[in-house]
Amino acid sequence: MKMIKATNICKSFDGEEVLSGISFEVNKGEVVAIIGPSGSGKSTLLRCINLLEKIDSGDIIVEDEIMVATNGAGKAIYAEKKELRKIRLKLGLVFQNFNLFPHFNVMKNITEAPKNVTRVSKEEASKIAEELLVKMGLEDKANAFPCQLSGGQCQRVAIARALALNPDVLFFDEPTSALDPELTIEVMKVIRKLAEEHMTMVVVTHEMGFAREVADRVIFMDNGVIVEEGAPEDIFTNPSNERTKQFIKGFNA
Amino acid sequence: MRLIDLLSRGMIVTIQLFVLTLILAIPLGLIISFGRRSKSRIINGIAGIYISIMRGTPLMLQLVVVYFGPYYIFGGKIDRFAAAVIAFALNYAAYFAEIYRGGIESIPKGQYEAGEVLGFTKIQVFFKIVLPQVVKRILPAISNEVITLVKDTALVTTIGVAEMFRAAQSEASRVASIEPLFVAGVFYYIMNLIVAQLFALAEKKLNYYR
Repeated sequence: MKMIKATNICKSFDGEEVLSGISFEVNKGEVVAIIGPSGSGKSTLLRCINLLEKIDSGDIIVEDEIMVATNGAGKAIYAEKKELRKIRLKLGLVFQNFNLFPHFNVMKNITEAPKNVTRVSKEEASKIAEELLVKMGLEDKANAFPCQLSGGQCQRVAIARALALNPDVLFFDEPTSALDPELTIEVMKVIRKLAEEHMTMVVVTHEMGFAREVADRVIFMDNGVIVEEGAPEDIFTNPSNERTKQFIKGFNA
Repeated sequence: MRLIDLLSRGMIVTIQLFVLTLILAIPLGLIISFGRRSKSRIINGIAGIYISIMRGTPLMLQLVVVYFGPYYIFGGKIDRFAAAVIAFALNYAAYFAEIYRGGIESIPKGQYEAGEVLGFTKIQVFFKIVLPQVVKRILPAISNEVITLVKDTALVTTIGVAEMFRAAQSEASRVASIEPLFVAGVFYYIMNLIVAQLFALAEKKLNYYR
């Protein structure tokens, strides 16, 4: 089953094209890693799919629902607000710098959206949060405030917060770029665990080792286009495109 | 003792003016700050002009305009105390609006985005996520304004509201001494000590996170 189907996405900021006709799909249970140099449009792509930016043209379909489609005149037409809210809840996004709510403790960071958005009862929301905290190895941090946590712990709380809404697809925007190598490992471990449970995930990352080991498919982006995509082994050991070769070589050197 | 008694009675009016001004100016300031942040150029412009006039002209003059204005326009009269409350609320709301705006703009964009991807509505994002953080950040600036307000209440003698400073003034001329004014000064100082303490307490209470 296709979770995400994006076709020919174009996006410009102030006349500068950041995404130039991106098409890709994500299947249920798949882990897709998006790699590429800074400024290649990876984060923008994620932000577009998560409705933080609006695309100029192209189609995005989430499961069976049309988020945005381009009409005959080449203009992107978004679904109605109500529909978009419904689609949004199928998607979860984890940010590079966590964006936890500093005035809420860990528990409240996780339960606030279920309580107020999906209208889950208080008890149910707390139960879900407790289970997620155990899964993240943070069961003793429920009452801590984000400022009392390490970056790795913050990111795991952010993952739990996104999972509490039970999304069908979870997106990660460079989830470890703000972390020390040591803390990177603990966050990667959690993502790996989710992969083992067949959570559908799209991860923008600079961690080549992670992309290689955990991803089912790797997409290499440069200059707003998908240069190459394929199985991790092919991309990392036998890239067909010259640009991909250079990029991978840069990491291995 | 007569002096203390007079000043205490005046102080009740001063406190009433102070409290009513805050009750009105705090939410009004928020509305004006929304106007100042509006994408509509007209609303933004109106809010900008409002703030500019309120901050750029003497509060004493604003008091006079609110008190005597209705007489010239409608020929009707307005209660002195009501005029004082209205003028103060309109004036302080302008200052509060700018403080709110600064606070709101200091909240990182990521907080809005995190709220948005979690499915919160814009209103929920503002009231649950942004505003509580704004309150913590602007408390020191607000405490400055509130302390100034305590002292500014003395200005309403201009339109003849019988509050503490007026009581001190008339007593001073009756006994031909400035002593009553000094005692009034002590009263204002004590009120402000209390205000400052309350704000310090509130700041401490909000110190549970960074």
